Amino acid sequence: MVSLLDSLPPGLAKPCALKRLEKSGRDKVVSRVKDISPGLADSDVIISEIRGGRKAADQCLAHLNPAKYGSTRNHLDGAVTRLSPYIRHGVVNITDVRDTALDISSAKDSEKFIQQLSWREYWQRLYKEFPRNIWQDVEPYKTGFSPDDYQDNLPRDIAEGRTGIASIDGFIDELLTTGYIHNHARLYLAGYVCHWRRIKWQAGAAWFLTHLLDGDPASNNLSWQWVASTFSHKPYYFNLENIAKFSGDTVDTRIETNRPLAGTYEELYARLFPNLEPKK
Amino acid sequence: MSIVWVHEDAITLNHPVFWTAGPAVQPIFIWDTEEHDRRAYSLKRRVFIYECAHDLDIPIYAGRPCEILPVLAAGETIYTAGTPNLYVLDVVADLRKSHDVTVVDAPQLAHIPANTDTGRFFRFWNRAKKSALTHSSENQIETATAP
Ligand SMILES: Cc1cc2nc3c(=O)[nH]c(=O)nc-3n(C[C@H](O)[C@H](O)[C@H](O)COP(=O)(O)OP(=O)(O)OC[C@H]3O[C@@H](n4cnc5c(N)ncnc54)[C@H](O)[C@@H]3O)c2cc1C
Repeated sequence: MVSLLDSLPPGLAKPCALKRLEKSGRDKVVSRVKDISPGLADSDVIISEIRGGRKAADQCLAHLNPAKYGSTRNHLDGAVTRLSPYIRHGVVNITDVRDTALDISSAKDSEKFIQQLSWREYWQRLYKEFPRNIWQDVEPYKTGFSPDDYQDNLPRDIAEGRTGIASIDGFIDELLTTGYIHNHARLYLAGYVCHWRRIKWQAGAAWFLTHLLDGDPASNNLSWQWVASTFSHKPYYFNLENIAKFSGDTVDTRIETNRPLAGTYEELYARLFPNLEPKK
Repeated sequence: MSIVWVHEDAITLNHPVFWTAGPAVQPIFIWDTEEHDRRAYSLKRRVFIYECAHDLDIPIYAGRPCEILPVLAAGETIYTAGTPNLYVLDVVADLRKSHDVTVVDAPQLAHIPANTDTGRFFRFWNRAKKSALTHSSENQIETATAP
């Protein structure tokens, strides 16, 4: 690479690059970011432990275990990679990640992992095809409700993690403090927002994009639509038992602190989607 | 001198856009805080993005790409990585009024026929699976020998 040009057409002011910071020193990075982000609210002070850059991405890649991924990925403490912020920002390319998986494991053992990588490519392809429609419902809701039945804005208790439902508040706290949550936690939060609280998926998706370090209009908005049922055959919902099954001891899943989520799938279906035929 | 605009969807120097642009180029990153505000990025997101850009050891400018890039490129070609991101697409469309802009896509995971029904993921996956599960080195050989 060559250094920046000095010869500019006369009359044009040459933009100045920001002064380079020392490699180390996260505090300096944070104060630089604050300096060059005058629009940020003073109340926004949280910084994630997750570091940007190739070295951090390589550390995640070094832990990649495609075979273990396949059998544990749905568990909140499963062998997921946490590569998403790096993939989202192109720090690593998914073909390189795929190749690393195939270097470690056979195609058969890597299949589940590569299938998940393909979800990203799938969403990106749809986004590329319809870049201006990324905030629109792809299909009608299949919940027995119309879009007008859903609230436009995200209530404060959700935005701040004070819903009073222990597991949900725990996931929100993790989202707000780290900027990363497991896929299953994303599904639980999106299901709760869309179906328990009947809020438009767009409000939840915008909230995620503010906080997720991997926040990506395609993967995020289309996943929200998959949960909401505007891009799937049926709404995604869950029950407390499901959270308990996949969260081990890491999440408070006691009935007394999570009442609205407790019940059988049939009971919850009847409660959340009263206009649909009862589930047999 | 030609510029490679490193934007937030490809914060890397290891992208085919650099192979296309050749060695005599200047990669730069532009910190567009108005765009971050518009997208309501939290501080933690901004810090993460800044760290990724800072890690590349390339000049970082603060301002709007549409204003900074034409001045730095001064009539030379501007290169950038392909993305569906509307913000980037709009900047590229604007730059094209005064500059030659070359957009280069990253390699894809899967090769599927253009007419594939992608209305649902599993229809896509059924067509994508074979090439997605093949190492890039073998995928390239396959492409090279395809009729
Ligand atoms: C409501 C909701 C919102 C989401 N928002 C985003 C988002 O903004 N950005 C984002 O990258 N992913 C999003 N996802 C998809 C998925 O949750 C994350 O990609 C994954 O949890 C990231 O963790 P990981 O890197 O440990 O993933 P791993 O399980 O280790 O997977 C490896 C990589 O494959 C890709 N991937 C895996 N699963 C998916 C998936 N279902 N959809 C798309 N890509 C996938 C990611 O790039 C990920 O880094 C969302 C899912 C839901 C349900």
